[in-house]
Amino acid sequence: MSAEQKQARIPLHLSLDDPEPMYRQIESQLRGFILGGQLKPGTRLPSMRALASDLSCSVITTRRAYEDLEGEGFIRTRQGMGTLVAEIPEEKMSAHRREAVDGAFREAVRAGRRAGLTEEELRDILEETLQKDDTNVRLGGTS
Amino acid sequence: MTGTPVISLKNVRKSYGNFELGPVDLRVEPGYVVAVVGPNGGGKSTLIRMLMNLVQPDSGELTLFGGAYPDDEVAIKQRVGYVPERSLGHDEMSAKAMGEFVSRFYPGWDQRLYEDLLKRAQIEPDKKFGKLSKGVQRRLAFALAAASGSELLLLDEPTVGVDPFARREMLEDISRFMQEDSDRRTVVFATHVMEEVRRIADYVVFLMDGEFLGLHEKDALLEGWRIFWVDREPEGDIPGIVEVVEGGSPTRIVSDSPRETAEALFAQNIRIVRSGTVDLEEILSHLMRPSKEGCRA
Repeated sequence: MSAEQKQARIPLHLSLDDPEPMYRQIESQLRGFILGGQLKPGTRLPSMRALASDLSCSVITTRRAYEDLEGEGFIRTRQGMGTLVAEIPEEKMSAHRREAVDGAFREAVRAGRRAGLTEEELRDILEETLQKDDTNVRLGGTS
Repeated sequence: MTGTPVISLKNVRKSYGNFELGPVDLRVEPGYVVAVVGPNGGGKSTLIRMLMNLVQPDSGELTLFGGAYPDDEVAIKQRVGYVPERSLGHDEMSAKAMGEFVSRFYPGWDQRLYEDLLKRAQIEPDKKFGKLSKGVQRRLAFALAAASGSELLLLDEPTVGVDPFARREMLEDISRFMQEDSDRRTVVFATHVMEEVRRIADYVVFLMDGEFLGLHEKDALLEGWRIFWVDREPEGDIPGIVEVVEGGSPTRIVSDSPRETAEALFAQNIRIVRSGTVDLEEILSHLMRPSKEGCRA
């Protein structure tokens, strides 16, 4: 029973305006929380039905997301224990973090192309953004 | 995941006078919430009453948990909780007495859940059914069905007459019912409130003038349809287009195959100014339109 109380309430959000299908949105947000350390290994995730009910989506969608994340090794389902965040080896974590950045860049490029920008203009934007950004490189990482 | 379906209908038909339902071909696996929607008189109640053997199909094959009426009626009904369209005939009975009465029939009766549900709905156990408001009567009917320990709930417009706040609680109750033993439990509910479908359904069944328009995965419907606003009207055949509202600026297009439509628009050099989602009501009205026109042509 105590394990049940420790169940995480995760601030997921689904948008139908997002061209990504809902199960992908769930996957990428959960992956983000796991890689970012907000969801630690061993944390219990809500059941597929509870999550579906929270997000007003179908259990088919939440199941698809959980199955994919399980296939990628981010979570695991134990009989009688529900779904838990898995222990992920450090090298896999950093590879995934890199992937997330790649994805963000791909998305930015797509947005640029939709807006009709040239490659040259996109490079300029990147350069400008890098220069303007004064975020400490280590912010959010190990201090 | 293709074990024994909870519900299976093959080529089921039923007619009364000039109303004809079917043919219905439907297979529901355990673990899902299925909403049955459509205009009044479309056949929602007839379908649910057939599942309860209160109406017998004229033809076709109907099974629940693999069993058929009338031979397996007792075994089937011990696994089904039912909320009829109109709750009737219990005016002089208290909620407590109704619980005692219903519990005798169900081996899996959950008295604690029953009491919890009554408390949540603020129903005094000793108050007579006839003294309760219509909405509260619905909540009591639901409490009886949910506490029966059944794997399948058949709910015929369970929230009619229930105020919006209490309706929300009922939807939560349904969702809680599904959270326990979630691989075995199933809910089929008739409604014409799209908000309920949006909130809790996994699948949607459309019935219109007795015609069965299929079982649809709700999220696939929501994701599979899009509205495009474009800078000029497309020419010729564009795949996926369900509707073009002419004369608008920008022109509004509804598509049920957004990717194909977007590519074809792009090929015609038509710019998509904005795109957005199509809500369930509109999808439903488009799904119904061909059959409607077919009927009246």
